[in-house]
Amino acid sequence: MRILVIEDDQGAAAYLIKGLTESGYVVDHAAEGHEGLQLALTDVYQALIVDRMLPGLNGMSIIAALRSAGIKTPVLILSALSDVDDRVEGLRGGGDDYLAKPYSFSELLARLDALLRRGQLEQQDTLFTVADLEVDRLKRKVTRAGQVIQLQPREFRLLEYLMRHAGQVVTRTMLLENVWGYHFDPQTNIIDVHISRLRTKIDKDFSAPLLHTLRGAGYCLREPD
Amino acid sequence: MRLFRTTVFRLSLIYACVYSLLSAVGLGFTYWSTATHSMAQVDARLSLETDVLLELYRTRALPELTEAIRRRNRDDGQRKVFFYLLHGPDNAARTDSLHPWPEEARYAYATLRFGDVFSIPRSWGNADDKVRVLRIPLSSGHRLLVGRDLNDERTLLNHNLKLVMIVITLTFLLALVGSIILGRQTLRRIDAVNRTAQAIMAGDLSQRIASTRRNNEFDELGRTLNAMLERIEQLMTGMRQVTENIAHDLRSPLNRMRNRMEVTLLEPREPAEYQTVLEQNVTDADALIQTFNALLSIAQAEAGLQRDWAEQDLSALVEDLAELYSVLAEEQNISFTTAITADCMIQGNRQLLAQALSNLLDNAVKYTPASGRIALKVERIDGCTTVTVADSGPGIPADQRDKVTERFVRLDTARSSPGNGLGLSLVKAVAKQHGAQLLLEDNQPGLRVILRFQE
Repeated sequence: MRILVIEDDQGAAAYLIKGLTESGYVVDHAAEGHEGLQLALTDVYQALIVDRMLPGLNGMSIIAALRSAGIKTPVLILSALSDVDDRVEGLRGGGDDYLAKPYSFSELLARLDALLRRGQLEQQDTLFTVADLEVDRLKRKVTRAGQVIQLQPREFRLLEYLMRHAGQVVTRTMLLENVWGYHFDPQTNIIDVHISRLRTKIDKDFSAPLLHTLRGAGYCLREPD
Repeated sequence: MRLFRTTVFRLSLIYACVYSLLSAVGLGFTYWSTATHSMAQVDARLSLETDVLLELYRTRALPELTEAIRRRNRDDGQRKVFFYLLHGPDNAARTDSLHPWPEEARYAYATLRFGDVFSIPRSWGNADDKVRVLRIPLSSGHRLLVGRDLNDERTLLNHNLKLVMIVITLTFLLALVGSIILGRQTLRRIDAVNRTAQAIMAGDLSQRIASTRRNNEFDELGRTLNAMLERIEQLMTGMRQVTENIAHDLRSPLNRMRNRMEVTLLEPREPAEYQTVLEQNVTDADALIQTFNALLSIAQAEAGLQRDWAEQDLSALVEDLAELYSVLAEEQNISFTTAITADCMIQGNRQLLAQALSNLLDNAVKYTPASGRIALKVERIDGCTTVTVADSGPGIPADQRDKVTERFVRLDTARSSPGNGLGLSLVKAVAKQHGAQLLLEDNQPGLRVILRFQE
């Protein structure tokens, strides 16, 4: 997987490149807007990580130029602007996800993963399967080892999101944003409670647990080893 | 001189000039009418005097008249008022006084220099005195000329003119003095305001503008400015307190992280130990970032900019959040009940409203003990949409209710539970931004928080 990082802050870029390389990505770096656009236009990257404020050409202009050139590489926008409106503006401007600084690296990695998989999952799947757990979106039916599991609507959406990103790390913020539609940090770990509820329903009475908590990062729904 | 630049001084000076000019015009007219009137009186007397001589001429004859004139013109050491002259038909004088007929006296009445008309010797006056003359032709071809001395009238008029000048000058001087006094008085009051402002700019925020018992417009201005200064001082104090609180509250976690790392570095350790320390630091750093995010959200809400403003279904939003939090309450064995009136719409920012309401629910869950109660209500009362979050926790003492909405303020009893003391500050800021009232009440037992959105 080849990633392009367009970020002018040397410290932030070095940290990002180190982390991404260690996570198994091949990373190119541009510290200036025009240079970044030139590299991105070669269309050899699976994803772009773009800072909004750059010397030369700003992040939003780069994205606009790419999109008008017909390049659909997913873009994760990084920005010190954290207001809801800035987020909306970034996403409307052609970004695929938006992360406000300061961010945690695990959050960035999880979102990048989600972006990279999105391309593959774009064909609106109606049936998701992880080990013996099955989710049928059309019938809104969940079964595990052939047993039907009753879920509340919100629990169903939570599970559906986890299934869509099976094998990937999903952070609490991602869940709050995508399942509930809120963009703030709740003071208590409300998401944990919902996850543990869901876990009771899908994991408790079965042999191998599928829904795992990753300390300091988030959750992951995956096949047992 | 600053005095001359003051508005009051200039205005007073302009008024002074206008008044002086008006009185000059008035007095000038009086002077002119006095002069005209006194001249008319002189002419009447001349005419009377002439009539006496004409009567003499008509009843007696020319020699008698000549004799009378000679007698009357004689200098007896007394001051004379009337003077006489008789010219013959050949323009030769028939009297003692031989003097050519002045060209100017072609008309009946004329004002002439005494020396130009008469050559009568006299011990009073001189040749430059003015005389009023009346010339009458006689049937014999002679011309009779009677003159009257104008010294008395002249003296009276001169006296009048002097009076007029004195009055005008006095008016102007008095007005000028008044302007100076008024200007200085105004300057003194303005200087007082200036001095206070300068002291405040120099850093002494407690300075106030002194007021007098006169209760005039300057005192009114002073009172308004003082009220403004009071408000600014309050805000400054609040701002300073917030800054101090931020510094204080952020210093402790930073210090904790620093000490932890310092101790770890004292000697070589197992990799697992390093890992633990780094993980703890990540947790602490996350908490710091969260605190900053909360501060930014509060600042954004307090800025009062209505960004991302739209009609929001408050009922649906509360329903949504209730679902999110009921699970948490249930987990802690707290009874969570809702009574939500459907379709309550308000104008606002969905994310900020959600965050504020979630802070209230967070608090309720956090402070309500196991087997306690939380009740969530949305209702319309008198056209106002209200959201009520009531719990059965320890509540907030009445004297602390104003304080807890300030940044970083936490009750002593809450110190042991997690939190940064910013939750209610955000609720208050969001409420203010949405024009809503935030009320903290006693739920007996527990706390009842009411958000009342104005229609």
